[in-house]
Amino acid sequence: MKIGADRVTIIHLTHPSRRHVQWALLWVAGIALVWGWDLLFLNRPAFAQVRTALFNSLLGGFLVVVFSMILGWACALLVYFLEQRGQTLMHLVLTFVFNLVRSVPQIVGILLGYVFLTALIVQDVLRAPFLQLLSMSLVVSLFVFLEVMDLIRERIEHYKNLDFVDAMLCCGIKEHRIINVEILRKNSMAHLVHKAVAVFGMAIFLQCSIDFIISVGLSTEVSSANFPVTLGSLLARMDSKQDILAISIVFSNVSYVGTLLTRHLQGLNIAGIIVYTLVCTYNIANGLVRRYHL
Amino acid sequence: MRRKLIEHIGSIAFVTLIFALLVVSLKDRQEADRQARIRLVAPYLNLPSLDFGSPRDRALFKETLDLFRPDSRAANDSLMRAIEAYRQSQFTDPALKTGVGDQGLSWAVLRRLGGMYLQFVLVYTVVLGLTFYAAQSLAMYRFVRLKQGRSSYLAEFLQRLRAWNLPETKGGAGARSVQLLLPLLKAGLKVIAYAVLFSPAYVIGYAVKTSVDMDSLLFMVLLGVVSNGLLINYANKFYTLLVGESRKGYVETALVKNLSGLYAWNVPAGVSYRSLLLLPRRFPGHVFQHVYLNARYQYLPTLKEQASFLITGLIIIEMALNIQGHLCYELLQTILYRQYDSALVIVLGIFLLVKVTEILVDVRRYKEGLRYENRG
Repeated sequence: MKIGADRVTIIHLTHPSRRHVQWALLWVAGIALVWGWDLLFLNRPAFAQVRTALFNSLLGGFLVVVFSMILGWACALLVYFLEQRGQTLMHLVLTFVFNLVRSVPQIVGILLGYVFLTALIVQDVLRAPFLQLLSMSLVVSLFVFLEVMDLIRERIEHYKNLDFVDAMLCCGIKEHRIINVEILRKNSMAHLVHKAVAVFGMAIFLQCSIDFIISVGLSTEVSSANFPVTLGSLLARMDSKQDILAISIVFSNVSYVGTLLTRHLQGLNIAGIIVYTLVCTYNIANGLVRRYHL
Repeated sequence: MRRKLIEHIGSIAFVTLIFALLVVSLKDRQEADRQARIRLVAPYLNLPSLDFGSPRDRALFKETLDLFRPDSRAANDSLMRAIEAYRQSQFTDPALKTGVGDQGLSWAVLRRLGGMYLQFVLVYTVVLGLTFYAAQSLAMYRFVRLKQGRSSYLAEFLQRLRAWNLPETKGGAGARSVQLLLPLLKAGLKVIAYAVLFSPAYVIGYAVKTSVDMDSLLFMVLLGVVSNGLLINYANKFYTLLVGESRKGYVETALVKNLSGLYAWNVPAGVSYRSLLLLPRRFPGHVFQHVYLNARYQYLPTLKEQASFLITGLIIIEMALNIQGHLCYELLQTILYRQYDSALVIVLGIFLLVKVTEILVDVRRYKEGLRYENRG
């Protein structure tokens, strides 16, 4: 009996899915549309703030991806070589520490990290905004990189038992070259790109949430004066929150949508950008899964 | 299994020990820190003819500071904030108030936190159960649609639009319009659903703040399930497992052995909505039964990750929406007022909750593994 899945597979072989590219383009188009709309209806100071916040958030997300990739790669290789060379105690200690970090809910870990960063800022150790953004991203990546590490370890485990690895070892090729070039670069790039997209989405979500929480709940200690402005911290400001509160008017008066899109633009804009970015990263990641059969 | 349990218990013991040491050391340091903060601002508070209650005096003081120490503007800002925080704490800091009961970590505080903790555990358990069920249901629905070869609602709309004038299209103009617009309506609903499911909890929370009681447990549970991308992401993970399973060789073998492979809704030998929604899920005589069971077995470890992410979501909800009287709001307050001993106890409680979930998941997976490997 022929099942529906057979048809889908044939379609995939003849026309490889381009969904990930389509969604990436859709994200760019969406942001461009919002930009244009803002130029028309949002006041200049607010527009400048939204631009800066968007730039900082995207840069922060990108930095989290970079840090997570480096940390994930380094830790995966460290654990692998410790295991290979029979250093059981060190291997056990490291695995124990990683599992411990895994058991800490990300937001709790990041919150504690931000408390530490605040202390550094108050003591004037972290002064430059870029340095602050860098350290914020590093804190987030400390609680995200384990996903990358797991993926790299899983890829190494998957290929380690195949014949070509033994053959290359017999030819005198170094193990680290086999792992880095043959397994990771040549055979796992799609997996790594997929993970990078997922980490980017997660980073945007966590960063916005923590900045929102800090700006709302810890505003006397940490504020936008301390940390670079991001979408989360801008959304936590009173005017943005009022814009979001105004959404509830639409439930009783649908015609208010027009007013919402022109008068309550700042908060709506920021919330829209966050949600839209998350939807797009989800679909880009799914598109990659479909395209490369991950 | 024994090794895993030892590791879990070891990490619980290790973290508890570290936290206990930190709590003891912080309890002593908190008072010293408070005194240090007072010493930092005291010389400025006693300056003659300067009233920090007056905005003009504050601005003058700030300008003077910037003139005298132009290279330390951040430190000047910090000093201004410290003075402001000190003045504010005279009115708000529970530690400085008399007659408010226990200050710092005491049995009474622990009892109060214990009540909040139990409430948190209750909400967590309900949300975890609901998301586990809903994520699987959503994934299975998506999987069946994939097997049916259905395209997206928008593509379906375009397809019907193209077929509008074809002679094969049956029915009157009214019926055809309904048929045409139905996928468009579904697409619209899907967009709204996506927007809600991917929204961070604080966006939804503030959007409905004026019309919903934010303090109610029901609202928290609902928000926990639908927001922060939790449901959609874990549904997607289960869906990926289902697709992966359906590509395996045993599926073909099962079809050859005459199990049904028909993925049509509510027809004999097909898949019914009822079996998709009712627990325990059973698809007798259908290959989907085996695809589902194998995917569910692989999904179990993901539950640990889901639990941790769910707690992240619940913390965001309680903290961002300032839901007073809840554990995570209390955590935020304790950090704000530098009661780090209480904050550590709350964090330890949350850590223990994740650990207990991890142990339960590992035990469950071990038991299921025994059954699948014919060892049980």
